[in-house]
Amino acid sequence: MSMRIVIIGLILVVLSACGSGKKTDEQKFLENLDSAKTEGPTISEEVIGDILQRIPSPLEISMILKESGKKYNVTYLNSADNRSKYNTNYKKALNLGIYGTDLGYTNIYEQNQDGVKYMEAIKELADGLNIGQFFDIETVGRLATNSKNLDSLLLITTQNFNTINHYLQTQSRANLSVLLLTGGWLEALHVTTEVAKANPGNKELQETIGEQKIILENIILLLSFYKESDANMKELLAEIEELKKAFDKVNISYTYKESTFEIVDGVMVIKDNSSSTIQITNEDIIGIKTIVDNIRNKIIS
Amino acid sequence: MKKYIFIVICVFALSTLEVFGQCNSEALSNQCIPKLATGFNFLKSYKIEKGGKEYVEYSYVFTKGTQYMINICAGGAATDGIVVSLYDSNRNKVASSKLNNQFVSAIAYPCNTTGIYYIQYTFDGSTGYCGGSALGFKR
Repeated sequence: MSMRIVIIGLILVVLSACGSGKKTDEQKFLENLDSAKTEGPTISEEVIGDILQRIPSPLEISMILKESGKKYNVTYLNSADNRSKYNTNYKKALNLGIYGTDLGYTNIYEQNQDGVKYMEAIKELADGLNIGQFFDIETVGRLATNSKNLDSLLLITTQNFNTINHYLQTQSRANLSVLLLTGGWLEALHVTTEVAKANPGNKELQETIGEQKIILENIILLLSFYKESDANMKELLAEIEELKKAFDKVNISYTYKESTFEIVDGVMVIKDNSSSTIQITNEDIIGIKTIVDNIRNKIIS
Repeated sequence: MKKYIFIVICVFALSTLEVFGQCNSEALSNQCIPKLATGFNFLKSYKIEKGGKEYVEYSYVFTKGTQYMINICAGGAATDGIVVSLYDSNRNKVASSKLNNQFVSAIAYPCNTTGIYYIQYTFDGSTGYCGGSALGFKR
């Protein structure tokens, strides 16, 4: 009798140990859907993940444009109707990033009708890449119907894109994540250069464009990891390196000074005493805009 | 025979404890998102789990003229000794959530210089070595 109890107990222990590593049906389903993987990059995916997560959200640039009083202009954006043109994973991923930036821009300016079109385009491209399950179009669409929901709308869309990027990385598809972020960044830069063109001599806009030099360096690094394994990414890298030549004329200088602190309502409020200056001319902006437009036109056509 | 039964029960109990003792840093980072102060837009959530290193580190490009907030959640109301420090691209320390032995759960950083910043979480008297964090911005 006691021996039976021991055996039953051992079986329970073994079963509980097996259960902890068991994949759910949902996980298995997603893995089956997502079997298309490319050859690996030349560096660990962990390093790629570290660089990817530092690329800033394009939402920040849209917020800068809105807060500085610049008017909404839908013609700056890639038409949502173009989505049917994107038939390869490469194009889908890049334009998913572009549409993500466009959606953020329409959201920030509370242009819900335009926003709905971009949501549909995003959902379609994301489905095409087998990541549509992470874009909650029902919730996003419902929130978009009321401007009082702006904070929730921005939160949900940001979370959806973060989840997509995280998922792609865990599935060894970080190459698509790199393309998604590159597309999103290029679109934000394109919109900013369009606004700068309409507001020549605007120092804040010029500085915002000049600062993109720092992000560009990280994008180049990310793309370079795939130049041996992905011909499309190699070609894109070559084009982005041309853009780098235009950015090389931009000079950013930095002076460090120790910060000061004070606690206000339980929050440590920092006074940043460091400063930086960005030297960029109108000619530099024109040079950057020309190359950005060329790269973007190839991607969206 | 009682000895064997006791061993089996202990092994089973220990395997269960392992599950209960796991750090759910994802849930903690999600809890941190709504705790960002009013006006801040969510950007990223970070898991804080002590691994092989003494610290957990992430990076993000901060933009001049933008104010950032980073908060910490560690199960209860307190930070459980988790400290967040911010370093600029040259590894100069520009902010910390610990001042004069006082731990706070959030830092607000109005950025004057665009660049890569390193968000580093360390453990100062922590018991759980487990937490979450959220990063938000406002103009």
